Amino acid sequence: MLDLFLAELKRSWILLSRYATETMGGIIATTFVFYGLFLSSRYIAGPGIALGDRLDSVIVGYILWTLMLFIMGDVAGGLQDEARTGTLEQMFLTPYGAARVFVIRAIGSLSIQLTLNIVIVVAIMLITGSQLAFPPILVPPFITALLGAYGLAFTVGSLTLVFKQVRQVQSILQFGLLLLLAAPTETWTGSLRLVGWLMPIAPAAGLLRDVMARGLELDGVRMAIASLNGLFYFTGGVLLFGWAERLTKRQGRLGGY
Amino acid sequence: MSILEAHHLYKNYHLKGKVLAAVQDVSLRMDGNEVLAFLGANGAGKTTTIKMIAGLILPDQGSVRISGRDPHRDPWALRSLGAVLEGTRNLYWRLTPEENLEYFGVLRGLTRSGARRRTLELLDRFDLTHKRREMVQTLSRGMQQKLAIAVALIHDPQLLLLDEPTLGLDVEATETVKTIIREVAAEGRAILLTTHQLDIAEELSHRVAIIQNGAIAIEQPTATLIRQFSGTAYTIELALGLDSDRMSKVEALGGVVKGNTIYVREPEIVYEVLDLLKPLPLIKVEQDQASLTEIFLQVIHPVNAPSPSL
Repeated sequence: MLDLFLAELKRSWILLSRYATETMGGIIATTFVFYGLFLSSRYIAGPGIALGDRLDSVIVGYILWTLMLFIMGDVAGGLQDEARTGTLEQMFLTPYGAARVFVIRAIGSLSIQLTLNIVIVVAIMLITGSQLAFPPILVPPFITALLGAYGLAFTVGSLTLVFKQVRQVQSILQFGLLLLLAAPTETWTGSLRLVGWLMPIAPAAGLLRDVMARGLELDGVRMAIASLNGLFYFTGGVLLFGWAERLTKRQGRLGGY
Repeated sequence: MSILEAHHLYKNYHLKGKVLAAVQDVSLRMDGNEVLAFLGANGAGKTTTIKMIAGLILPDQGSVRISGRDPHRDPWALRSLGAVLEGTRNLYWRLTPEENLEYFGVLRGLTRSGARRRTLELLDRFDLTHKRREMVQTLSRGMQQKLAIAVALIHDPQLLLLDEPTLGLDVEATETVKTIIREVAAEGRAILLTTHQLDIAEELSHRVAIIQNGAIAIEQPTATLIRQFSGTAYTIELALGLDSDRMSKVEALGGVVKGNTIYVREPEIVYEVLDLLKPLPLIKVEQDQASLTEIFLQVIHPVNAPSPSL
């Protein structure tokens, strides 16, 4: 399995380096779009108002959003590209099983993307003068956020297998993701809190905001909820992918586009 | 144990309330050292059958075993299968031949070092070593096709599915691919070949299966099939024209003389005719032989075609 991961990592890195201009352009564009957002919000709020930890929360949310968009595009967009170029069926001719290969591939390309994201984070912090905390305790909520994102990505990937063209769904989901990440579910009370717990990624995003932007300790109960949430969506997404694979194989439409 | 055993495969597609019987009761069996030409018109059910064998389409009924394993239940059955489906669609065009081979080697279950070793072997064998660091999209069509076959062989599978492996290739590249197919089969593998180039199928295959409307219309060893569909007449071609004495004797036996050529319908009199011709120089003596193209057309259009001498 390690061999497969390293092979996927190498493949992702090579493809990324062959698209070096697009990669660099993406990093620069992401950073500047955020800087634009930052300037706009400061203009509306007025120069006298300090955005403080609210700005840090926005940065955390924005970074998470770009990462989630990458995951979504990587899995669902990757499937569409493979179907278009014809290599998709070869992915299903592996003794490892297609779902496992796609999960490992996603982890491989995420490792590279994370490195790029660190570059974006540093750039954003330099531009805005914001200081984010990066304690090791942010790793668990970060992983649960990724699990949720992968769950959603594999759900969209399943739709891609079945319906082939899901660009519209992806576009809508981009804004849905922004809502999930930006919604301050950690401050919700009563029945709304329960809704927040059930929303994909939202509990993990709230924890990340607490740890990174507000410098709070990790809450054990909320961490457990975020973990269950992440595992639930990840398992659901992968199971749905397996179902979509069987359905398209039954319909004889696996390689079509 | 056979390398491929496909038993009673059925597949129906449901399109807008209608049921299309794509494959009906197809059974195929293949052993090592064998090339089976799987022929059929477009839409006859070739691709559906091949993809059911590869585990890419789930049959409604029937079973598939590759080296004793079911690819629909046991993914490790795919360790014994290599496939080039629809031309070169098993390659990443932005990767080099070396990168493609190494990546697909691991994807098919090899270790990284094993994949690396096989990559070097195959690059050398397929004469691609000098192109190993060029992106696939910059290679010629022939090289891409050689690489596609190499990628399908990276994990040393027992069964190779080749869908139109010579489509769009020039003469030289076609000859190279044909040589590769012969060599690969001679190593003990079973090759299931689909092609619309029937002369190539005739040249390469040990057996032919023709599928029509989803069902196997005929399946025979290639030589037997050609013999079965061939006439019994002989053609004798002479270097010079016949003198009138010999001509009348040949015609008296039942031969037909046209210029320097003699047609003999009854095989029993061939030697008598040859005795009469002795010692005239001959250019060739051959039995009328059906080509696979003629056989194919007779099988799929039996009404319009001349009836075979079965």
